[in-house]
Amino acid sequence: MKLAGLKSIENAHEDSVWAATWVPATEDRPALLLTGSLDETVKLWRPDELDLVRTNTGHSLGVAALAAHPSGIIAASSSIDSFVRVFDVDTNATIAVLEAPPSEVWGMQFEPKGTILAVAGGSSASVKLWDTASWRLISTLSIPRPDAPKPSDKTSSKKFVLSVAWSPNGKRLACGSMDGTICVFDVDRSKLLHQLEGHNMPVRSLVFSPVDPRVLFSGSDDGHVNMHDAEGKTLLGSMSGHTSWVLSVDASPDGGAIATGSSDRTVRLWDLKMRAAIQTMSNHNDQVWSVAFRPPGGTGVRAGRLASVSDDKSVSLYDYS
Amino acid sequence: MASVYIPVQNSEEEVRVVLDQLPRDASDILDILKAEQAPLDLWLIIAREYFKQGKIEQFRQILEEGSSSDIDEYYADVKYERIAILNALGAYYSYLGKTETKNREKEEQFISATRYYNKASRIDMHEPSTWVGKGQLLLAKGEIDNALQAFKIVLDTAPDNVPALLGQASVEFNRGRFSESLQLYKRALQVFPGCPAAVRLGIGLCRYKLGQLDKARQAFDRVLQLDPDNVEALVALGIMDLQANDSIGMRKGMDRMQQAFEIYPYCASALNYLANHFFFTGQHFLVEQLTETALAVTTHGPTKSHSFYNLARSYHSKGDFEKAGMYYMAAIKETNNNPHEFVFPYFGLGQVQLKLGELKGSVFNFEKVLEVYPDNCETLKALGHLYTQLGQNEKALEYMRKATKLDPRDAQAFVGLGELLISSDTGAALDAFKMARTLMKKGGQEVPIEVLNDIGALHFEREEFESALENFKEALGDGIWISFLDEKENLEQTGVSVLGYKDTGIFHRLIESGHSVDVPWNKVTTLFNLARLLEQIHKTEAATFMYRLILFKYPGYIDAYLRLAASAKAQNNLPLAIELVNEALKVDDKNPNALSLLGELELKNDDWVKAKETFRAANDATDGKDSYAILSLGNWNYFAAMRNEKRNPKLEATHLEKAKELYTKVLTQHNSNMYAANGSGIVLAEKGQFDIAKDVFTQVQEAASGSVFLQMPDVWVNLAHVYFAQGNFALTVKMYQNCLRKFFYNTDSQILLYLARTHYEAEQWQECKKTLLRAIHLTPSNYTFRFDLGAVMQKSSSSTLQKKKRTADEVRSTVAEAENAVRVFTQLSAASDLHVHGFDSKKIQTHVQYCSHLLEAAKVHREAAEQEELQNRQRLEVARQAALAEEARRKAEEQRKYQLEKRKQEEELRRLKQEEEKFQRIKEQWKSSTPGSNKRKDRVEDDDGESKPSERRRKKGGKRRKKDKSSRARHYEDDEEEAATMDDHNEVEDEDANTNYNREDEMTTQEAEEPVDDDAHDLLAAAGLEDPDVDDDEVPTSGVRRRRALSSSDEEGELMEESHPNSSPQKEKEESNGEAGDPNMEEEEEEEEAN
Repeated sequence: MKLAGLKSIENAHEDSVWAATWVPATEDRPALLLTGSLDETVKLWRPDELDLVRTNTGHSLGVAALAAHPSGIIAASSSIDSFVRVFDVDTNATIAVLEAPPSEVWGMQFEPKGTILAVAGGSSASVKLWDTASWRLISTLSIPRPDAPKPSDKTSSKKFVLSVAWSPNGKRLACGSMDGTICVFDVDRSKLLHQLEGHNMPVRSLVFSPVDPRVLFSGSDDGHVNMHDAEGKTLLGSMSGHTSWVLSVDASPDGGAIATGSSDRTVRLWDLKMRAAIQTMSNHNDQVWSVAFRPPGGTGVRAGRLASVSDDKSVSLYDYS
Repeated sequence: MASVYIPVQNSEEEVRVVLDQLPRDASDILDILKAEQAPLDLWLIIAREYFKQGKIEQFRQILEEGSSSDIDEYYADVKYERIAILNALGAYYSYLGKTETKNREKEEQFISATRYYNKASRIDMHEPSTWVGKGQLLLAKGEIDNALQAFKIVLDTAPDNVPALLGQASVEFNRGRFSESLQLYKRALQVFPGCPAAVRLGIGLCRYKLGQLDKARQAFDRVLQLDPDNVEALVALGIMDLQANDSIGMRKGMDRMQQAFEIYPYCASALNYLANHFFFTGQHFLVEQLTETALAVTTHGPTKSHSFYNLARSYHSKGDFEKAGMYYMAAIKETNNNPHEFVFPYFGLGQVQLKLGELKGSVFNFEKVLEVYPDNCETLKALGHLYTQLGQNEKALEYMRKATKLDPRDAQAFVGLGELLISSDTGAALDAFKMARTLMKKGGQEVPIEVLNDIGALHFEREEFESALENFKEALGDGIWISFLDEKENLEQTGVSVLGYKDTGIFHRLIESGHSVDVPWNKVTTLFNLARLLEQIHKTEAATFMYRLILFKYPGYIDAYLRLAASAKAQNNLPLAIELVNEALKVDDKNPNALSLLGELELKNDDWVKAKETFRAANDATDGKDSYAILSLGNWNYFAAMRNEKRNPKLEATHLEKAKELYTKVLTQHNSNMYAANGSGIVLAEKGQFDIAKDVFTQVQEAASGSVFLQMPDVWVNLAHVYFAQGNFALTVKMYQNCLRKFFYNTDSQILLYLARTHYEAEQWQECKKTLLRAIHLTPSNYTFRFDLGAVMQKSSSSTLQKKKRTADEVRSTVAEAENAVRVFTQLSAASDLHVHGFDSKKIQTHVQYCSHLLEAAKVHREAAEQEELQNRQRLEVARQAALAEEARRKAEEQRKYQLEKRKQEEELRRLKQEEEKFQRIKEQWKSSTPGSNKRKDRVEDDDGESKPSERRRKKGGKRRKKDKSSRARHYEDDEEEAATMDDHNEVEDEDANTNYNREDEMTTQEAEEPVDDDAHDLLAAAGLEDPDVDDDEVPTSGVRRRRALSSSDEEGELMEESHPNSSPQKEKEESNGEAGDPNMEEEEEEEEAN
């Protein structure tokens, strides 16, 4: 397995690009790439030439996260001002604007069947679940706090939820915090199942293996990518090699590899059998905030694609095979 | 069996004495000799026999008795035998003196010998044997010249006296005149072919000294044929065998030495060589015995020096350096401190002093060796090493470089050179070590692990990680680390993390599955270095495994604990890091590195009091010599000064002074310590001495570049702080940004905060805002950034509102900004755990209210700005209308000017016509008054007549042109004709002019008025306002201004046109006349009267 550079758009945005996600293909069009930026815009790109389809405006204070509904029809974007905007991908019509003060908005992901949008709630130490039919808040999954926080105890403020990930079957939700904690919830019962150990620094990205629903990958500021048994609570392995923060982790659709984006300006491809990095792409000049494999599906689509976006304002596309 | 027969006095009988059965008590034989008055030669024979049997006392007893006064009486007439006995005694005592080592006893022996020889001389002063004896005595005493004289006395009278010849030969030999000596020995042999073997020994020695080795060997062999027990010959041949320098020669040489020793155990040379032999076989007891004997039997300085040298070497190799040193010094003294005589003791002494730490003495002695052997590599290397320890690195380098040049194949010299260069020139050091490695491999030697380790370490320091890895792997060879390092074997990876450092299960499982987890002691250091390298290139799992492996085999390896602790710290697992450091402190509770790391961790855990105690313990553990511990205390004091939020001036000053004191202490001990310099710069900056601080930081920054171990982002940040304090915001921004990118991959949100502050002070609101947004994105849980974001948006809004002129877009942005600020502060207000960040809810509420108020004001301003924008649009329309009016006025003005021009031209033509008519009338009058004039006058008239027609033609042409023009032109012609009939009516012209002017004025007024009306109308329509009075006021003003302008313009135009006709004198004249009026008419009247 390897990556090959296909296309790079320099100055894709006017400032740092922080988020990227693929909008799945529909009957009418192929999968599209969605990017969000500090310049407060969301842009839509058509692969493989990365032609700009549209620029959406309206957010303030920088677009921090993006999520695409599995149907490919709608998507959600959020910004540092803590609004979530749900919109129609093809028409850009606003469907809903979500907020749940004082909760902030960080990582987002649609449940695999598309019925729920999970939103990491930052300092609220919780994950907000929104119903995608009525766009009402249906549940709040809270991370337990220490029983008696002391005034001098700074750890209490570090239960700050940054990232979320759904298991392939939608039964488990994992979230990562600033202090390195990873919590796994039983969504149906709104119950905390485990806390996974291994990190002591922010967990900025989580992803479940598409082929083994027990395996969860986490990327952290400690420079490591950890493999966890989300059911058994054990640390299966740890992979190091990035020289700075791991900002984003995504699993390839075939389950054989994961890709990571890092503050060290590189994108790495990791072979999960060897548990080692087999390739490093160094075409970015600044932090790589997001990497995303294109989801399977779409007419005539066979080759894999990986996208990466960077603080250097660029968007890159690679062939994954 | 040899026997002597003593005749019995007064009888024919003899007493038979068997020589090998001499009685033990010499008195018995003496009684017989005396009783029978035996011949004295028999006394000599018996005495000699005793001597041969080693019974010296008996020998001496007989001879002493044989030379007593009684014998002198009884044997008064027996001269020769008595002299012989005396000479024998003299020779005996000469020998004793020669071998005696104590000066006093030696002198006494020589005195005894002299006494016996003198007694013999008194018997017969011409006896040659006595002189020969004296010569021998003088030789033994070292009085070479006197000896020569003694032998000469004999040879002068008896040239073929063999003993004297031999004595002379010995004298020449001692003088170093080997050729002359050889001749004398040969002559002795010729005279007496049956000479004892000693003569051939002399020949051999001379040959040897003359370099004729083969002949020397033949001579010595001949000696041994004649006398198999000749010790000198054996020793000589032994030396020659040893000098052959091959194993056979060595064996033969030592065999001969052994023979010599067995024959005669008191030969100093043989003893020395045997001692040397046993030194190499490690039989030190024998070395001591043999050497001490040699010292006892010889007075020859060089030989004694050799003996002392052997003793010294023996003690040296046994590790008794002090005794060895003593004997080396004794060896040196025996050669009168002349290294050229015997240089080896200097080398040995140098080595011993090096061991004992007496470096200067060692240097002195090795320098002596270089005096004799300037190119000796061993000595050069030793001196290089010594000068290194003495801190004279330049000299050390000089010697080591010379060693490598002299012997480019000496790998050890390159190793030494490399070690010297490590601290000063890593590139050159690396080259030297690589050369050593190459030489060793070429020579088939195994490269020591130390060399490979050093090469790897140097590559590591130079950030050449791949090369470092290769060398460490080569140094280590095969082992469990290779499997783990190459990731070829699918080793069990569960639990391979810092967390499980106490779990040895992984190693036991590896053992059970057939892997070896052994780590030879000499590989631990390199394995540690390999782990450290893996840590550096972020292969953390492999590094952790190896540290744990080291601890599994060597539980006391403190550095492995500390690296694991550093790894845990880097992953922000402080409790684990502290636990690991404490494990290290269990091994050595005073380990300064462990204590320093513990202090650092305690600081990070915000445990200040404990940290201070820990740093002090680290300082105490090194008796105040460890820079790191002192620096840490300095930093602690600095933080203490800055940390107090109430900023107690006295306490702050105290801590700063303490910090400065500590930094200065480190700099005194190590003047190139960059961390101490950085600390000093900080203190200077805190005291406001920014220029000096800037210089300090700049120098530290330059010095810190180029090494992986000297990463100092602090100094970059400090430089930026200084630029900020000095108001140089552009440089400040650049410095912060460079630091972020170079050291932190732009991830350090604290530096981003500094950067934002700089933008804020420079009033670059948008840059400040974006920087804060980046900081929030990096560290979203830090609410300080959000608060600051709200503050900057508030500031940006209010600064825009304070501007005197604002565009609607600017105000719209301001409104959005204020709305965002309200939202940010509102969210902060509602967030929990505010006390953790030190926020005051009331303060935030104040901000919310202020921003809301700001927002309302902004909205009002937005409406105002929008109205202003509308008004501006209206003003633009008014300006357009005014421009149109101006255009119309300009056209009217052009029309008026055109008309004035035409009027002026017509008037000019009219005047010309009048003048011409007058002239014609005058001429006609003159012709009628003078009928029948002369021809000349007629010609003049004709000429005049000719000129007139051309004038007329011109006039007519002019008229035609005018007729072609508009009808107004014709009108003017009519006026002209009328004027022609009224010569005296100038007033009429004036009236015409006035009329024209009035008409023009009227036209101008009308034209001016029309645009005014239009403008008024347009304004009313455009404004759509309901206040007509304002418009009425404005319009008349415009009209008034325009009229005035028109008036001025008219007057100017008029004046200009009046000046136009001044184009010809004639016209001027006419005009002048016209203006004068009456005077012209008077003149005309006068002319008429004259006519």
